[in-house]
Amino acid sequence: MAKKTYDLLFKLLLIGDSGVGKTCILFRFSDDAFTTTFISTIGIDFKIKTVELGGKKIKLQIWDTAGQERFHTITTSYYRGAMGIMLVYDITNEKSFENIVKWLRNIDEHANEDVEKMILGNKCDMSDKRTVSKERGETIAREHGIRFMETSAKANINIERAFSELAGAILEKTAGREPGDPADRVYVDRRQQPSTTKSCCN
Amino acid sequence: MPDCNKNFESEIKEGKNLRNVKCKYCSSLILTPSTGTFTSFEFNLPLMKQSKVNDSNPDTENVSLFWAVNEMYTFQNVGFSNTVGDNKYLTCADCEAGPIGFHDIPSKKSYVALSRVQHV
Ligand SMILES: Nc1nc2c(ncn2[C@@H]2O[C@H](COP(=O)(O)OP(=O)(O)OP(=O)(O)O)[C@@H](O)[C@H]2O)c(=O)[nH]1
Ligand SMILES: [Mg+2]
Repeated sequence: MAKKTYDLLFKLLLIGDSGVGKTCILFRFSDDAFTTTFISTIGIDFKIKTVELGGKKIKLQIWDTAGQERFHTITTSYYRGAMGIMLVYDITNEKSFENIVKWLRNIDEHANEDVEKMILGNKCDMSDKRTVSKERGETIAREHGIRFMETSAKANINIERAFSELAGAILEKTAGREPGDPADRVYVDRRQQPSTTKSCCN
Repeated sequence: MPDCNKNFESEIKEGKNLRNVKCKYCSSLILTPSTGTFTSFEFNLPLMKQSKVNDSNPDTENVSLFWAVNEMYTFQNVGFSNTVGDNKYLTCADCEAGPIGFHDIPSKKSYVALSRVQHV
């Protein structure tokens, strides 16, 4: 076997209501990006990114999930093995913020007990349409002892930072442990899922 | 000919990639040296630029030179598309340019097309 090219592997998940911008966070349609119709039509399942933190080479495997109610059974099957979860709401959508509590309960039920969580208030570029103040986001995060950040997938604000902070938090927690066996990866068939990426951030 | 990578042989050292494999468009690092194994076979890979939006029947080209990667975590940065048949297509993780290759689900192997990336 070839030598391992990394020290640790962290599986991260994006969850939250439909339309909050999870897919855009993973699959940014920035104007300067070379975006092809073919890839945007089929959509991205997950990404592998390598970051260096605390002198360690860390592989992040980042998964997108569907926010729609009818996909929840599939979504919860992704919780298994996730070491970090980004819980996303939309600062212009009150309902998506209220549902944070519901998503947190969902995580408690289905994810690993020691999963590291982070709340993201996305679409912070849309200040004119804001209905959820930053303070409310900070408050709910504090109440649950979770990290918080406002992001914009469209303007590329805090996206990289959010991932490296979440990874850093997992690193602190896992310090000393062995990397997980990458062979345990299971494919979940999501062919039924409609492609939602087309209108993304344009 | 899409594979008219005239000097591709000079990119191979002991059957592996001599240099870094990067995205042609944004230089995102995909593979570090010696992590891909040179392999040659024919595969119809959808074009990076499609002439029209046509989900079910994309324009393809025959590609035959690949870096084979046995284990997906060998990649430095890469995106995996949703499943199409037995495959997932590979993209740049930073600018989403793609397909730069494909992943074969039954064998769990990934193949990066030499002609869709740069070697630096
Ligand atoms: N202004 C602005 N719009 C955004 C941002 N992120 C996403 N959007 C828009 O919000 C809409 C929904 O984004 P998606 O990424 O598809 O949402 P999702 O969370 O993946 O939704 P589901 O897949 O249904 O769960 C799209 O029209 C995006 O263009 C952002 O940061 N700012
Ligand atoms: Mg989505």
